Amino acid sequence: MRPWSSRSPFHPAVLTHCVAVTLVLWVWGSPSLVAAERPAPDLGAGKDAYRQHCARCHGATGRGDGVDAKRFYPRPRDLALGVYKFRSTASGTPPTDENLFQTISQGLPGSNMPDWQHLDEGVRWQIVAYLRSLSPVFEKVQPAPVQLADDPGPARADHAKGKALYETLGCAACHGSAGRANGPSAGGLVDDWGMPIRPANLTQGWSYRGGHDPRSVMLRVLTGIDGAGMPSYAEALSPEEAWHLAYYVTSLQEPVHWNLVARAVRVDDSLPSAVDDPRWAEADRTDLQLDNVVNATGEWASPPTVNAASLEAVYNDEAIAFRFTWDDPTQDLHAPHDGFALLLKPVGSEGDVVTLQAWPSAGAPPLDVCYWSAERGTAWEAVATDFDSVTTPSVSTPPFLQSASGYQDGRWRMVVQRALHPNHPRGAAVVTTEAFTSIAVAVWDGGNPGSRAVSSWIDIALREP
Amino acid sequence: MTRSRLLSTVGVIVVAIGCGSGKPQSASAQARSPEHAEVGAPTQLALLSESPQPASGHSAATIQGVVRLSGTAPQRALVKMSADPVCQQQHAEPFYSEETVVDEQGGLKNVFVYVKQGLTGAFPAPAEPVALDQSGCWYRPHVFGVQADQPLGIINSDATLHNVNAKPTLNQPFNIAQPVKGMKTTKKFAKPEVMVKFKCNVHPWMSAYAGVVDHPFFGVTDEHGAVTISGLPAGTYVLEAWHEKYGTQTQTVTVADGETKPIEWTFSTQ
Repeated sequence: MRPWSSRSPFHPAVLTHCVAVTLVLWVWGSPSLVAAERPAPDLGAGKDAYRQHCARCHGATGRGDGVDAKRFYPRPRDLALGVYKFRSTASGTPPTDENLFQTISQGLPGSNMPDWQHLDEGVRWQIVAYLRSLSPVFEKVQPAPVQLADDPGPARADHAKGKALYETLGCAACHGSAGRANGPSAGGLVDDWGMPIRPANLTQGWSYRGGHDPRSVMLRVLTGIDGAGMPSYAEALSPEEAWHLAYYVTSLQEPVHWNLVARAVRVDDSLPSAVDDPRWAEADRTDLQLDNVVNATGEWASPPTVNAASLEAVYNDEAIAFRFTWDDPTQDLHAPHDGFALLLKPVGSEGDVVTLQAWPSAGAPPLDVCYWSAERGTAWEAVATDFDSVTTPSVSTPPFLQSASGYQDGRWRMVVQRALHPNHPRGAAVVTTEAFTSIAVAVWDGGNPGSRAVSSWIDIALREP
Repeated sequence: MTRSRLLSTVGVIVVAIGCGSGKPQSASAQARSPEHAEVGAPTQLALLSESPQPASGHSAATIQGVVRLSGTAPQRALVKMSADPVCQQQHAEPFYSEETVVDEQGGLKNVFVYVKQGLTGAFPAPAEPVALDQSGCWYRPHVFGVQADQPLGIINSDATLHNVNAKPTLNQPFNIAQPVKGMKTTKKFAKPEVMVKFKCNVHPWMSAYAGVVDHPFFGVTDEHGAVTISGLPAGTYVLEAWHEKYGTQTQTVTVADGETKPIEWTFSTQ
């Protein structure tokens, strides 16, 4: 770099700017770096922006009681408490301004907090200033950044050391030995506001609220997640060890394919009928994000425990087989038991049921439901206008489907097979090479009674060899 | 490790005040209860305080308090620790909650008693730490007192993960992991606060309460509901008794030099 080039940090104009930034720093009493675009704090502007963009969830006065608050899991933060989850600072100390700016800018994946990058940076900084004014903690306690080590990078991160730390530090108590959020303490967690909460499923990187890159994970380990159960490990491991653990945790994340069209692979012979048939590896994987259905009053009954399901599909001339995989922290074989439904839209009903969140409802058209019960270990198919008539079948025996299932360490795998053109039940959906068929899934966790998680609709397409 | 094991064995619970003569006047009224005798139970120990004392030795007053519970005491809840085998294995016998512990005479254990008003002058915090032990997946002691700015040594005597989630409202909260047996962390609370709750998210049945005050005149009732606060200068004081289920009660008491004053509190289950 040439001296005094416009990009040099020593350029006079940059130095002048640094003085201005330093003044802002001094006024704010913030010890860390501030982006050059950061304006002088203007609480009026921050309040206006907050009212416009944040109050709907976080409430007019920041108490986390906006009109949409009760529909959310996790609940919107009560900003007046000054307790923030995602920080680079010691447990119990407030976040830095940059932490707040980052959360606003990037949102919290897996929660209802969106990213706000479409707002001008200056507006985001004014919101940061306004958030600080909502809690006295920012005046009383200085952010205490945790001590960090240099990133060893993926090549030098010690996987074995990270795995050993995962075990000795007790991560599995909540997150489970394979990271599937099925540890023995996972079911009893309560946050500081008395709301039941669940640990992160570490295999689902997309659901890490504070970011799933190694640095973000490393910060969560060292700072903890204040207000939630996750404690700070800053006194239990070194900053270097935190990186090894973080790289190990990120290695637990599984690749996901959020396909809008799931493609079934054609085979000439019989369809795979076992959950561990090697032919499943040749099929495309499609992941479906699930959302719990809210109750009649629009409130969460309990935190969701099943957040995603994946599928592979294989077909031949007569039938199609699906393998579904989903993480459920508890295997529940007796009432209330686990269950799974593959829903297909019968021909002619496309577009009528826009979302399973709104099905069943009065006047809604029937859907083709292939329901599997963990209690019976069998699956059957019905065309119905509600779930109850399928999950608790009447005397008239529904057509049973060939199925198999297995549960291991927080994960169900289930294979179900149905005809492409079923003769029964009457009005059943048809799967053909000529058209896409809309499918969706619904999952019941018996360990989380009353909850039902549903996906959006995607299409299944029969792929020619 | 050696140090923490020593601490967990010796179990310095509450530093009692010394009198002017430089001798410890009394310790906390906390005592070993039968169910605590099993693992790493703290033994009470009075320590000499180096702080300047407000009253001369021969003239300090003593409060001898008894806290009782009237009405039918609720059954002590059985604590289920099956979620963590390390916890379960440490209890051959059924283990019961310490929320409401009464003896046959109605003496109520685990009541924090302290001087709420009436003291003048400053009482520097002792340098000796108060110990909070996690042993048998239980906080020992369940209720304790500590002076503001006095070190609080938090120890994990269990071979399992505990997290120490302290939830004060006036002081700075913290939530730290203690994953390894023998781990010790020292914390301080800067301001008086009655009470500060501790909980463990990993083992939701675990809780403890600390009364943080800015003087040494406090104690916690033993299994007979008895508590002694000594070395108190002559004067008129508001005493408060706090129980986690039955709330607080205050009494105004006047003590003279050298006086030993019996005080009774009665909480009601009604």
